[in-house]
Amino acid sequence: MAMQGIMGMLRNAMPAASAKHTVLGVFSDAESAATAGDELKSAGIPDTDYDFLTDSPYPEGSLGERDEPHRLYLYPFIGALLGLSSGIMITAMTQVAYPLVTGGKPVLSLPPMAIVCYEGTMLGAILFTVIGIVFESRLPKFDLGLYDNRITQGFLGLRVKAEPEQSREVVQIMNAAGAVDVKTDQ
Amino acid sequence: MASEAHAQPGPGHDHDAHGVASPGHDSHEHGHFGPEMWVIPERSELVSGVVQRQQEGSSLLRWVFIVGGILTILGIVGFVLKLVTVGFSDHNDWGFYVAAFAFVFTLSASAPLAACAFRFTKSHWRRPLTRIAEVFSVVSIVNILLFIPALIALPEIGVMTESGEEMVRRSIWFQELSNPSGWLMASMIGLVFCSLSILWLSAMPDMAQSRSMMTGFRASLYARLAGGWYGTKRQWQIQKGGLAILGGLYFMLVVFVQFLIVSDFAMAMIPGWKDSILPPFYTVISFQGGLAAILLTAYALRRWGGYREYMGQAPFWAASKVLLGLTLLHTYHLFAFFITYWYGRLEVEQAILNYLMFKSYIGIFWAQLFFTFFIPFPILVSNHARREGWGAPLAAVFILIGLMLFHIRIFAAAFAAAPADLHGLYYLPSDAFSFPALLLPPPGATFPDLWDIFMLLGGVGIVLFLLRVALMVLPPLCLWEMKEGSMYQRVDTLIRGRYLVLAKPE
Repeated sequence: MAMQGIMGMLRNAMPAASAKHTVLGVFSDAESAATAGDELKSAGIPDTDYDFLTDSPYPEGSLGERDEPHRLYLYPFIGALLGLSSGIMITAMTQVAYPLVTGGKPVLSLPPMAIVCYEGTMLGAILFTVIGIVFESRLPKFDLGLYDNRITQGFLGLRVKAEPEQSREVVQIMNAAGAVDVKTDQ
Repeated sequence: MASEAHAQPGPGHDHDAHGVASPGHDSHEHGHFGPEMWVIPERSELVSGVVQRQQEGSSLLRWVFIVGGILTILGIVGFVLKLVTVGFSDHNDWGFYVAAFAFVFTLSASAPLAACAFRFTKSHWRRPLTRIAEVFSVVSIVNILLFIPALIALPEIGVMTESGEEMVRRSIWFQELSNPSGWLMASMIGLVFCSLSILWLSAMPDMAQSRSMMTGFRASLYARLAGGWYGTKRQWQIQKGGLAILGGLYFMLVVFVQFLIVSDFAMAMIPGWKDSILPPFYTVISFQGGLAAILLTAYALRRWGGYREYMGQAPFWAASKVLLGLTLLHTYHLFAFFITYWYGRLEVEQAILNYLMFKSYIGIFWAQLFFTFFIPFPILVSNHARREGWGAPLAAVFILIGLMLFHIRIFAAAFAAAPADLHGLYYLPSDAFSFPALLLPPPGATFPDLWDIFMLLGGVGIVLFLLRVALMVLPPLCLWEMKEGSMYQRVDTLIRGRYLVLAKPE
């Protein structure tokens, strides 16, 4: 049932995604790109349908872009918990399986367990953080899609997914806002 | 002093700011500071300029490659001949190898931390230094290989006597574990994985931006590693968050691995050496050495590598104060180590002081103290030397020599201290509370043989060689951070002087 549900979702999603056209506007300055973003919003294009492409991180909200919530911070906690659990299990089971009283200390002593537990916690947190980065960044993406190398020289890109009937209007908005170039995937 | 403005560089601001010419390129009055103090590269030419320089190379980098390669080969020859002549049967023979390994580990594991730490502080002067710091992650790959012989040379924690009794040696691990190699190796692999992840995450935008200008192997590598990066807000956010989380985890892990290394390969090798100061001392000296290596590399690239127009004096000026702080902290920990044992006056404490400081290794101890404190301290205190940019790299040369001497004094001496027998490393559990008298009188210093010298040189060589290889593959400047910096910095006039104006959006 679950598999059928996922397949159904994919079937529903695929035609919708492929039906939209992609338009990339290239801007020489941030002000023009931000203006184009504002105009797209005014034209009724949802802000989830366009992205600014930049060669370096811009300050939060400076382009009028949407917030991008993510859950990256959860991954290290999950990894750390799993690593800690593994460390506790390995050390406790070892000591119970081979009980050896050392220096009059209890068989299950926390100080010697702490070293292995700490290491397990760290390794788990690191591994899950890297997995989280790959997953949350939506990487790897083998098809780069529309892109312009001038973005690497300080230009800004504004990539829009628009319905076919809207794509002409999107091109006009970008040109009016001062785009130095506008490309489409059609 | 830089004037600091908490401006919001909103839309419309950025390209005006990008176009600010490097102070090295204009002829304005520079006030109190020289024209090379702040260099803000032109944003639009940064990628192409750095890629071109990277592909051209320089005579400095060619020499680093040749010298590093020759020294690495010498190290391999020394290791093989040592192995053939003495084998791994006696740990006493492998002290200098462990010293060479620990030296490479110290530099390559601590240097990437500087990138994370300076990024946490959101300082602008860090920008030309971060990639150089991160590139040491590539050097750290060799730590895994170098660690294997060191683990083999490490004596077992428990051994059986002919009469069937189990003898143990003191260590931080469970005594029922015959050898903690698995956990030690796992920690080392985890550390290398984490530092490489930081490098990958940081370099991904740069590789994406320069992949179209690269040819051959680099073009293919960049295309694979960049993974379809195109710089959306989400990608930048995840990158920023990922670098912060991994940086924090790296700090927590590197300190832990340093604790393991210095505890297992130094302290545990001298029975009775119970010192709570040595692990933090080792961490401080590692940070000092890591920062010294970064500053020396950055200075060499700036002075002889063709990157003068991308790096001003400001990074050296600012980082030299951090280096001065670490140098003082190092000396404080050294004194704390000494005074605790000197005041404690237990027999074993006096024996350890005599062995490591005042009798057996007195020459190396004083040489190390001169190289890590008495020579760099006055250089780093001098405001002139700091501001001109050459002070910190010069001090770094001495600090790195001192760092090598430190490793010889601590690790080679520890491996040479105790024979692997009942009256040396091992004791019966029933004798747990009665220590045998050790190091009384302190044995003489162990001198390296020819193969040991080769291995020590190999330790230096492998760092140089891999650093050069890494700089062949990756640009030595963090391009996206430099571009971000050019958005937030400009040199402007205040009254009659030219000063740096900074925007701090967060």
